[in-house]
Amino acid sequence: MSELLEVKNLSVSFDTHEGELQAVRDVSFSLHAGEVLAIVGESGSGKSVLCKSIMKLLNKDARIKSGSIAINGVDITNYSERQMQRIRGKVFSMVFQDPMTSQNPTIPIGKQIAEAIRVHDPKMSAEQVHQRVIELMELVGIDRAEQRCKLCPYHFSGGMRQRSVMAIALASNPRMLFADEPTTALDVTIQAQILDLLRDVQKKLGTATILVSHDLGVVARVADRVAVMYAGKIVEIGTAEEIFYDPRHPYTWGLMRSLPAYAQQGEKLYTIPGMPPVLIDPPAGDAFACRNEYALGIDYEQMPPMFQITDTHYAATWLMDERAPKITPPIGGMYHV
Amino acid sequence: MSEILLDVQGLTHHFRLSKSAVIKAVDDVSFQIHEGEIFGLVGESGSGKSTVARCVMNVHKPSAGSIYYQGINTCDPAQFRKNRKLLQTSRQFIFQDSTSSLNQRMRVADIIAEPMQINHVKTPRGSDREEAAFQLHYVGLDRSYLDKYPSELSGGMRQRVTIARALSMEPRLLVADEPIASLDVSIQAQIINLFAHCNREHGCSILFIAHDLAVVKYLCHRVGVMYQGKLVEVAPTRELFENPLHPYTKSLLDAIPIPDPRLERARVWHEFDPEQFDRNGTMVEVKPGHLVLKGEKA
Amino acid sequence: MIRKNPYIYYGRKLLAFVLSVFILSVAVFYIARLAPGDPLVSYYGDRVERMSIEERQWAEEKLGLNDPIYVQYIRWIQNAVKGDFGISFKYKMDVLEVIESRLGNTLILGGIGFILIFAGALGLGILCAWKEDGWLDKSICKVGTITSCIPEFWLSLMLILVFAVNLHLLPSSGAYSVGHKNDIADRAVHLILPMTVAVIDHLWYYAFMIRNKLLEEVRADYVLLAKSKGLDKKRIMYRHCLRNIMPSYLSLMAISVPHILGGTYIIETVFSYPGIGTLSYESARYQDYNLMMVLCILTGAVVILFNMIAQIINERIDPRMREQEIVETTEVTEIG
Repeated sequence: MSELLEVKNLSVSFDTHEGELQAVRDVSFSLHAGEVLAIVGESGSGKSVLCKSIMKLLNKDARIKSGSIAINGVDITNYSERQMQRIRGKVFSMVFQDPMTSQNPTIPIGKQIAEAIRVHDPKMSAEQVHQRVIELMELVGIDRAEQRCKLCPYHFSGGMRQRSVMAIALASNPRMLFADEPTTALDVTIQAQILDLLRDVQKKLGTATILVSHDLGVVARVADRVAVMYAGKIVEIGTAEEIFYDPRHPYTWGLMRSLPAYAQQGEKLYTIPGMPPVLIDPPAGDAFACRNEYALGIDYEQMPPMFQITDTHYAATWLMDERAPKITPPIGGMYHV
Repeated sequence: MSEILLDVQGLTHHFRLSKSAVIKAVDDVSFQIHEGEIFGLVGESGSGKSTVARCVMNVHKPSAGSIYYQGINTCDPAQFRKNRKLLQTSRQFIFQDSTSSLNQRMRVADIIAEPMQINHVKTPRGSDREEAAFQLHYVGLDRSYLDKYPSELSGGMRQRVTIARALSMEPRLLVADEPIASLDVSIQAQIINLFAHCNREHGCSILFIAHDLAVVKYLCHRVGVMYQGKLVEVAPTRELFENPLHPYTKSLLDAIPIPDPRLERARVWHEFDPEQFDRNGTMVEVKPGHLVLKGEKA
Repeated sequence: MIRKNPYIYYGRKLLAFVLSVFILSVAVFYIARLAPGDPLVSYYGDRVERMSIEERQWAEEKLGLNDPIYVQYIRWIQNAVKGDFGISFKYKMDVLEVIESRLGNTLILGGIGFILIFAGALGLGILCAWKEDGWLDKSICKVGTITSCIPEFWLSLMLILVFAVNLHLLPSSGAYSVGHKNDIADRAVHLILPMTVAVIDHLWYYAFMIRNKLLEEVRADYVLLAKSKGLDKKRIMYRHCLRNIMPSYLSLMAISVPHILGGTYIIETVFSYPGIGTLSYESARYQDYNLMMVLCILTGAVVILFNMIAQIINERIDPRMREQEIVETTEVTEIG
């Protein structure tokens, strides 16, 4: 059986004034039906671009340079805009970071949801559409839906808006949902509500989800599998347990060690030295090498391949090579507070 | 216990929308910050924590209550004028958005030196430029950044420059309003370390406003929790995280995601019902240093 | 904020309007009389030069020009309130009658021009935004920038030179040929040149505004959401983006009325088109006080009125502005 989503060797570049910016570099991964895959990374690591390039929502100055995207074994890499329109919303849809700006401010919520329903089902009667709108609003936890569907987005708080964006995204029962930092702009308590909702919906409808986030706490709460991105590449991918309890890539170590949640008060927080590389003309070899205290000579010359650790766990670091010196990871094991 | 540096008493701030409509952004808030202490103020957006910071820095004039800084009532115009120089140099503000709080047309050296020139501060290291280089070095940037413009720096570097600008006045109180909210995880760690360093080496007191409780837990000595303009609980950090008493604090602590999948998934989150909130309570000291808002209903 | 009572709201606007017009009338009245020149010339023509001092005094008394200015003004406004605006010195006719005969011509030129400008601008703006950065967009923008820099009078003269003087295709002046006052075809032919100038001079500016406003909308986050639910470009453009810029477009239209009106006056003068513009010019030149007063007040009132309409549109038509007031009230009662 083929995977729901299979991305192979995908590279995406932007044309800028300074030259070609390689935002996503040779990324391969797959998404199983009904799972939550989290993509973690810092800003500029290409996680958001990756999602948008799969849905082909990027601007004209971005282009897919190489690689392929397949859904249920069907290659959609060369789909035209018209073909993409037919599958957007139905096969996959997206929830964006800022609920304050991601809805049309002047159109009532109900109408915006209805629009998403009608696009893929134009024959539905007005009555049926209305029924479905109410149903969706109740699904995402907006009570008093009958009255509220007539309100415009600015009547709603941030959490409510994000719920209604979810309703729009789920309107045509997509098999995949991309959630691009869906809780970053929200308060902690609202974040908890939205994350619970995301998990509930995923359980109820079996929608496979790709969650883009920079917050490892959020990821721990909802993800089945985790992919860590750095400088446009996936450097480590595995189940949530493998990534959190047995991380193998030095960048993953660095990310985890710099979290205040792992540190004791009074002891100095670990920081990753240096800056992420500029992706116009990226360095040869491992992009993380110059910030990596465990870097080997070969890291500066040759890109490490994905080493397999278990069936599900892969890491792109030369430390996994059998010739490399054995290093005890500075972090891993259970949460130690 | 060390001396009290900042004493906020019954601070109230109302925003008037029209003749009959008033928003109580801050409602009867009292707390103290001791010398050399990092005091964290947490709460969701709109809870009034930024307004407290602005009142402390004399940006807003409080509707009621008073703020004593080193025994000076800063809300009293006569006392403010008399101690203007002290108040303007020894208290410094750091904003969330480093992009808009730095003048895009000024070089880093001039940005750091400007407060010194305005306040005619003697420069122990010779020139303003040397002083700026020293402050830059202190926050972890080398001399080569002196002649750069803010737009050439990354978010973390810009935030370092704003901290250097604040430190150039050798402040005793830093008021930092969400200073790390817009930074990446690994950069956040650098800035948090910098704040901890300022506090340890300089003995600088910090009013640290944040919504990220993990950071507050790591950095702050004492924490105050705000909800709908009211301070609902104040306690030493350890005490607050181990033994939260107010239901809102409990819900807030529960909501922080822990970066540990097994623990995180086992947790059940209890939502706080705003209907249950009783704003007419008084602060009661349950344990030494641990105050909580007790409602009349309860 | 509490939602305002509509009677009070519009009452206030009306009061502001009347007050503005009153202040305008005082200003125009005084300034006109301070300007150098002899108003008697427009009434008596060359005879003025041969008049004796007594004759002059008699003439001034007859026209009411010998009193102090404030007395003249009080007399004028007393009559004006009754609907009597005096007679035109030049035409020896009731001022309103003079204006009535010209008003239609200006309304035809300005009105049709206005419609053409805004319909054209909308079309061009959408076209440019649709083909953003394509060759069509780029060339339209370039042509627009150049043409909108050409002064109206120069463009008018060039068109007259080419189409009327050299090619003899179109008439160079007037609103209709002698004896063809009710001939629509003849009027249309006379309108072509002035209308072309009016449209070309304003069209680009507004087309450019539409283009930029649309592009701003297209880059908004909600467009990405609309795309990700499967909407096509056309639908996003018309149902979402265009709809969102309409309120500001309407208020822009209202605000531009005085602007386009001003342009029309210049065009009328160059083409000797018998409208309000040429009349205004003449009245100022010949010190035809009564006529000038009414024309200035009329123009001023139109300007003030349309600015107010623009303001009302801005406040009312955008649901965010209209309903924000209610939302805030409920929130406040919850908190306070």
